[in-house]
Amino acid sequence: MKWLLAALERARPSFEEGGKLRALKRVFDATESFLFSPPDTAQAAPYVRDPLDVKRFMSVAIVSLLPCTAAALYFFGLRVLAIIAVSYAVGGTVEVLFAVVRKEPINEGFLVTGLIFPLVMPPAIRLWMVGVGVAFGVLVGKELFGGTGRNLFNPALVGRCFLAIGYPVAMSAAWIKPGGGVLGRVMQYVGAAQADAITSATPLVAAKQQTWASLQDLFLGRVAGSIGETSALAILVGGTFLLATGVANWRTVAGVLISFGLGQAVLHRVDPGAFGPALWHLCAGGLLFGAFFMATDPVTSPSMSGAKWAYGAIIGIVTVLIRNLTGYVEGVMFAILLGNICAPLLDEIVIRARMRAYR
Amino acid sequence: MPEFRVMKARGGYQVQLKGKPSLAVEVLPEQGTLFLPLKSRRFTFSALCVEEGARVHAGQILAKDPQNYSVPLLAPRAGNVRLGAAEGHIVLEDVAALGEEPEHPLEQDLHIPKEMGSVGMKRYKLLMLGAWEFLQDAHTGDLPDPFGTPRAVVVSTVDREPFVARGDVQMHKRLNAFTRGLEQLQSLLEYQPIYVVMPESESEFALRLRDLLRGYVWVQVVPIPLRYGPDRTAVVARRLGLKPQAGQPVWSLGVQGVLAIDRALTLSRPCDVRIVSVGGPAVKAPAHLRAFPGYPLSTILDSRGVCAPARVINGGAFTGRPVGAQQIGLDVECTGLTVLPEHRERELLGFARPHWNRRSYSKCFLSALRPAFEERFTTALRGELRACVSCGLCEEVCPARIVPYLIHKRLYADAVEEAEAAGLHMCVRCGLCSFVCPSKIELREQFVEAQEMIRIELQTEKAQA
Repeated sequence: MKWLLAALERARPSFEEGGKLRALKRVFDATESFLFSPPDTAQAAPYVRDPLDVKRFMSVAIVSLLPCTAAALYFFGLRVLAIIAVSYAVGGTVEVLFAVVRKEPINEGFLVTGLIFPLVMPPAIRLWMVGVGVAFGVLVGKELFGGTGRNLFNPALVGRCFLAIGYPVAMSAAWIKPGGGVLGRVMQYVGAAQADAITSATPLVAAKQQTWASLQDLFLGRVAGSIGETSALAILVGGTFLLATGVANWRTVAGVLISFGLGQAVLHRVDPGAFGPALWHLCAGGLLFGAFFMATDPVTSPSMSGAKWAYGAIIGIVTVLIRNLTGYVEGVMFAILLGNICAPLLDEIVIRARMRAYR
Repeated sequence: MPEFRVMKARGGYQVQLKGKPSLAVEVLPEQGTLFLPLKSRRFTFSALCVEEGARVHAGQILAKDPQNYSVPLLAPRAGNVRLGAAEGHIVLEDVAALGEEPEHPLEQDLHIPKEMGSVGMKRYKLLMLGAWEFLQDAHTGDLPDPFGTPRAVVVSTVDREPFVARGDVQMHKRLNAFTRGLEQLQSLLEYQPIYVVMPESESEFALRLRDLLRGYVWVQVVPIPLRYGPDRTAVVARRLGLKPQAGQPVWSLGVQGVLAIDRALTLSRPCDVRIVSVGGPAVKAPAHLRAFPGYPLSTILDSRGVCAPARVINGGAFTGRPVGAQQIGLDVECTGLTVLPEHRERELLGFARPHWNRRSYSKCFLSALRPAFEERFTTALRGELRACVSCGLCEEVCPARIVPYLIHKRLYADAVEEAEAAGLHMCVRCGLCSFVCPSKIELREQFVEAQEMIRIELQTEKAQA
């Protein structure tokens, strides 16, 4: 690939100071850095470095999301790809604009946000809403805080929260009945126009009317719901990979799942008629997706081990409370955002305790 | 003999770097000209004690460092002094090979004041014969006051940094000298304990040494895991409950230090011999060498074969410093030369490849499924500088149990006091945090700079007071 490297070298002067395309320097840098490993060497000790970089870190997260994406393609059809494309295009534009204005490198963090965001959208959502949502999430949830690594909230959830509050009706009636058979809806493009494919009943909504989806359907994903959250199986496959690589911390996931399971089990024992069983609730809605892929975002979750347990527990318990004791059918989004707010505080408590031991 | 139970040490990592020096020690041939650097990591020998053209004998003091208790730079061999021949060096020409010239009775030169008492005389002797240079404060790494009183002494036989001279290699065939050196060390103290840090492994060598130390009630053996990080003397000192206290330092020294003490006090000879490792992926025949300060670096490297282009590090790959273009000879503190290939290759779409041949602390590469293997590391940074993503790898790997990314964030916000409160002073400068950081943040460098800044400020305050 020497010719490609040579082509980049030839094009470089146009993007440097004084060149015609100097305004697009960040885009050139990002392209170069995407294609080739950097030529830089360590200028301070240690003079050898681990091969892990942020690009690799983010690619592992993207690979872990592929089973959910594949399951979504099977259940909800080609529209999923259109939603992902819009998310990357609009969110990427915001990211690039900020990088150019701030004169900072384009950050790889967006590649994960750009895929997670579509996976938490209803499958029949209008495409312009996807664009508005991801733009809001990246702009307000991340860039205004200074970019990847400095944000307080998960940008994808900020975008989703904005849409849920701004367009509540559209967001709660844009579900698609999942496909079945060998090919599912892989060859179909199902949108709001195909009224027969549209439903307003996700398992959690139906459960409020005492109609319980089968656990098997929940586990495989043969239910209505957000694009990437319906198949517990796909989430577990991707999530296990994410935990095995160490990119996501198992303590956070365990904290969420254990606290949620215990909380739901207690409620179910108190009133089995009103509150569903813990295992059913674990597989329903966005809990598993949130626990594996959103709560574990290293930037917005606490970093200290002890704090991760508490953070997970807060998310789990708040989800139980919102799902069962409020008018909302789903509570994972608000629970994680609340967890994000608490994360710095939890870290501070653990750090102070450790500091005392230092003295 | 009281023994410490092997405690579970947190953090640390063993980097599998290619080019591990072999266990054999090769003796370098004598040289006609020596180049003695006037600077080393801690010392600047600015006070010259010889004149241009003077004939000096082996062991004669050439210069002293006035900032460090006047530690001397000794002539390792007899020769004629040239002061301006190489910048930053004292050059010795027409060097006599060992045994060529009659040995000079050094006791005459020492002029030990009788009022010092026996312990004071011994310490003065150590200083003047170049053995004191092997000691350091376990926490700060500074040269301790030769006439001060330590709280304890930590003798480390383990240094897992790739690559510096290994303790077992230095002790090989010199076990008796080592134990005698420990006895001499003990005679300098009153009641303070000596902790001998050893690998927790049950190797034949470790067992032999333990047997030898069994009768020494004032020696406590501290077994540590064979990883880079927990072997830092500051980490060991804290593990032993020896936190830093003003005016009560913890002395630390390695095997060479103990052997130097034996040489100075038992044989009354200057400490001119050093065992230096030459290793790293760019060295064709990595080995341990018996050399002395002033030995031309180019001769050492040529004797082992170096693949160009390469970067020569004075010390290990984690804490060493690149050998400057001006440095011609081996300095008095060198324990190893690590030679790394200069990075040149650029890989297409590297982040998307599974990488069966990349050894990483993380488990993000397919090689995580392989048993440990040695990798041909280069000087590549292997990524671009990015903002901290709080991945927590630096905290996981840190042997000092501090939270490097938190200190970094506080220093980034110019909150130095908060960084201190977060344990900046506990950083042992091992460099593992910078090594694992996926955002390629120069954590170690930042911490070293901040520590130095705080130190200068404290010194200024003290001077003003």
